[in-house]
Amino acid sequence: MKYPLIPRRSEVIHSHKQRGAIVAAVLPVHYPRALLRAFDVIPVEVWGPPAVDASYKTTHLQPYVCSIVQNALSFLQAGGLDPVDLIVVPHACDTLQGLGSILIDFVAPRQPVLPIYIPRGERESDVVFLADEFRALYRRLEEITGRAPSETELAASIRREEEADALLGQLHRQRRQLPLTNRGFYHLIRSREYLPAETFTELAQAMTEQVTETTQNGVPILLSGIVPEPMSVLDALAEIGGMLVADDMACCGRRLYPVGASAPTGRRPQGESDDPFRRMAERILHAPPDSTRGSPVQERLDHLLRLARESGARGVVFYNVKFCEPELFYIPGLRRGLQDAGIPSVVIEVDIGDPLSHQTSTRLEAFLEMLT
Amino acid sequence: MSLRYHWNVNLLGRIAPRLLRWQTEWRMRAGSGWKSDVLAPPLRISARNKELIARHYLKGRYANLRHKVAWVTSGAPVELLKALDFYVLYPENHGALCGTARVVEEIASEAENAGYSRDICSYARTDIGSLLSNKTPVGKLPRPDLLLACTNICQTVLYWYRVLAHHFDVPLILIDTPFIYTVTAGHAEVADHAVAFVQRQLEEAVPVAERVAGRRLDERKLKEIGQLSKAASQLWMEILERNKHRPAPISVFDQFIQMAPVVEMRGDGATVDFYAAMLQEVDRRIAQGVGVVQDERQRLLWDNLPVWYRLRYLAEFLGQHSVAIVASTYTNAWGELAELIDPERPFASMARTYIYPILNRGAGDKLATMEWMIGEYHLDGVILHSDRSCKPYSIGQMDQRDRLSKRGVPALLLEADHSDPRSFSEEQVANRLATFVEML
Repeated sequence: MKYPLIPRRSEVIHSHKQRGAIVAAVLPVHYPRALLRAFDVIPVEVWGPPAVDASYKTTHLQPYVCSIVQNALSFLQAGGLDPVDLIVVPHACDTLQGLGSILIDFVAPRQPVLPIYIPRGERESDVVFLADEFRALYRRLEEITGRAPSETELAASIRREEEADALLGQLHRQRRQLPLTNRGFYHLIRSREYLPAETFTELAQAMTEQVTETTQNGVPILLSGIVPEPMSVLDALAEIGGMLVADDMACCGRRLYPVGASAPTGRRPQGESDDPFRRMAERILHAPPDSTRGSPVQERLDHLLRLARESGARGVVFYNVKFCEPELFYIPGLRRGLQDAGIPSVVIEVDIGDPLSHQTSTRLEAFLEMLT
Repeated sequence: MSLRYHWNVNLLGRIAPRLLRWQTEWRMRAGSGWKSDVLAPPLRISARNKELIARHYLKGRYANLRHKVAWVTSGAPVELLKALDFYVLYPENHGALCGTARVVEEIASEAENAGYSRDICSYARTDIGSLLSNKTPVGKLPRPDLLLACTNICQTVLYWYRVLAHHFDVPLILIDTPFIYTVTAGHAEVADHAVAFVQRQLEEAVPVAERVAGRRLDERKLKEIGQLSKAASQLWMEILERNKHRPAPISVFDQFIQMAPVVEMRGDGATVDFYAAMLQEVDRRIAQGVGVVQDERQRLLWDNLPVWYRLRYLAEFLGQHSVAIVASTYTNAWGELAELIDPERPFASMARTYIYPILNRGAGDKLATMEWMIGEYHLDGVILHSDRSCKPYSIGQMDQRDRLSKRGVPALLLEADHSDPRSFSEEQVANRLATFVEML
C-alpha cells in the first residue's frame, strides 16, 4: 500500500520562501486562512512547539503560564521564527492575549505582529464584528504586502479552504477505515496546520483512496483537549490497545469549519449578499463548540456525546495542557455529563515540553483496562 | 412573601447593619480593633462601609422574594440592570469578602473536590464551591435569574459564567469587549468597529434583561443611574487623588476596603453619599497633617489585585519601615473612566467606558499608566503583585518591572494569589519585601 509523503513544516516554509511568498507564523487557535492565502501569505501554525530551548521564556513569563505560550515565546527568541515574515496572534485566551501584548509592546520582534480578536458568541453581532475585524486585517495585509486581492480572488481562496476542510472532515469520519496508526493519522490531519489548502487537498484525496472495508481494531477512544503533544501519547495509547476514533482537539476536530452561511451554496438568507468577510467569519463562529470560543457547557457536552455515539468511542481522554484555564473550567461538567450517559473519562495533564511520564502511561493503561 | 421581605430587609435590615456600624464606631472611639504604632487609626468611614455592605448582603438573602436577581462580573455595565430593578450580586466581591474572612481554602476545596483545578482563578473556585456547598460568610446568596458576564476584565469570567449558566439553567448575557492591543505612543487605541460591537451587544441585552425582569427599561431611570455611577466614580477618583498630598492621608489598603461600594453598589444614591463623606474625612486628615504611615519616607505603587487575606500584615510590615503604598492601578481603575460616562448618551458612553478598563488594554499601556501615576503621586517604587489567579493582570509584569527598573524606578515582583492563601509564602514574601525596602 502506498502512502502519500507528508512534507515537513521546514520544507514548506523553505519552498514558499524560495518562490518569494510571505510566510506567517500563526498562534492558536482560529484565524482566517483564506484571507492570508488570498494575499499569498502561507500560514504556518505554532502550537508550542514541544521541543525548544525553554530558557528564554523565564525573562518574560511567570511559571503559571501554559507551556504552549511559554514555548512559543522561547521558540521565537531562540530564532525559530526567523524565517517567517509575519506573526499572527489570534485571541484565544487571556494567556495568548498576554503573549500578543508582550510581543507588540516589549519583545518587538523583527516581524509585524498582527492580533485578531475572535468574539465569544455566535450572534449576528459577533458575525458582523468578526467580519469587520477581518476587513481591518485585510487593510494591514494590504499595507504589508502591497497587494489588494479582489472579492473574486477572496471567494476563490475561501473555496479552496472549504474544499480542504471538507476532506479533513471526511478523514475524521473514516478514521477507523484508514490504514493508519494513531500517530500516522494525527501526522496527516495536523499537516493542515502548515500545508497550503491545495496541497493538503491532494494529500487527503490520495489518503481517502486508501480507505479499506475493514475496520481497525482497538479500544475506541475519543480524545479531547488542545493539542496532542507530546505526540508520544498517541503511541502509548496504541501500545496498550487504544484506538483514537474521534477527536475534539482545538488543533484538529474543533476546527472542522463548515461552509460559510453566506456562501452561494450555503445557508444564505434570501437577499443577503455573498460577502467574503462574512463568510469567513461565519465559518469560524459556526465551527464545533470550543472552550477557547467560550461555548456553552451543554453545547460542548452534546457535541462530545454525538462524537462518541457516531464513532463508537467507549471512553474519553481529556488531554489537557497544564494551566489551560479555558479547558479546566469545562472538564468537571463534561465529565459529569458523560458519566450520566455511561461514558467514562480520564483527565491527563501534561506540559508539552516534557516527555510522557510513566505515571501517565500507567493511568491510561488502567483507564483502557476499565473500558475492556 | 412580601411581608417577610419587608420585615427582614426594610425593618430588621435597617436596624441590624446600623447596630453593626454603631458598634464599630464605638470600638474605634474606645481605641480597640486594629491598633498599630506605625499606622494611622482606621478611617471612621469604615463603620459606615460595614453598614452598607452588611445591608447589601442582608438584602441579598431575601432578594429572591422581591426582586429579580442578577449575578454580574465586576466590570459589567450594571446600570442597565439597576434600571430594571434587579438585585445585583458580584461573585468576585463575594470572593474577596471570603478572602478577607479567610474562608477561601475551606470553600474553594468544595469546588476542587468536584473536579475544578487549583489552577483556575480562586474567585471562581470560591464561588463554585459556595454554590455547591452553600458555605458563605454572608449567610446566604440569592439564586440568580440572570447572569451577565463582561469580558473586559478577563476571559476567565466567561468560562466561569458558562459553568454558572449550566448549573442554574438561567440566561447568560455576554458583553464581549475586544481587547485593545493597538498602541500609539504608549497608549491604547480602540477601533471603531470594536466600540460599535460593544454598543450593539448592550442594545441586544435590553430585551433579554427586560424579559427576565418582567418590565420595560425606563430610559429616564437609566440616565439617573448613569449620573449616580458617574458621581460615585468621580468622588472615588477625587479621594484617590488626595494621596498626591504628602504625607498620604490613606493607604491602598484603605482603598481596597473602601472601594467595595463603587464596585458593588455603583448607581446607588447611598454610594455617592458615602464617598462624599469619605472625601470629607480624608480632607480632615490632610488639614490635621495625619499621614497613614507615621514618618512617611517612601511612597509606593501597588499593581494588580490585593492579597485579601494579608492586607493587615502587608500594611504593618511596610509601615514599620516608614513605607506607604499610596496608589494602585487596581483602585485607580474604578475612577479613571468616570469622565467617559455620559448619562445623556447611555449606550454609546457605556460602550466606550466598558471597553476601556486597564485590564482590557495592552501591557504597554498599563506600563504607561504606572509611569503616569509614579509622576503624579511622587512615588519611589512599585510592587507588582504577580497574581497566580489573574493572568491578564499579571502577564506582562516581568517586562513592566524590567522597564521600570531600567528607568530608575525600583520594582518588585511579589508572587501570591488574590484570595487563596495556599499560594502565599509568608517567609518568602517577608524576605523579598525586606530586601526591597532596604534597596529603597
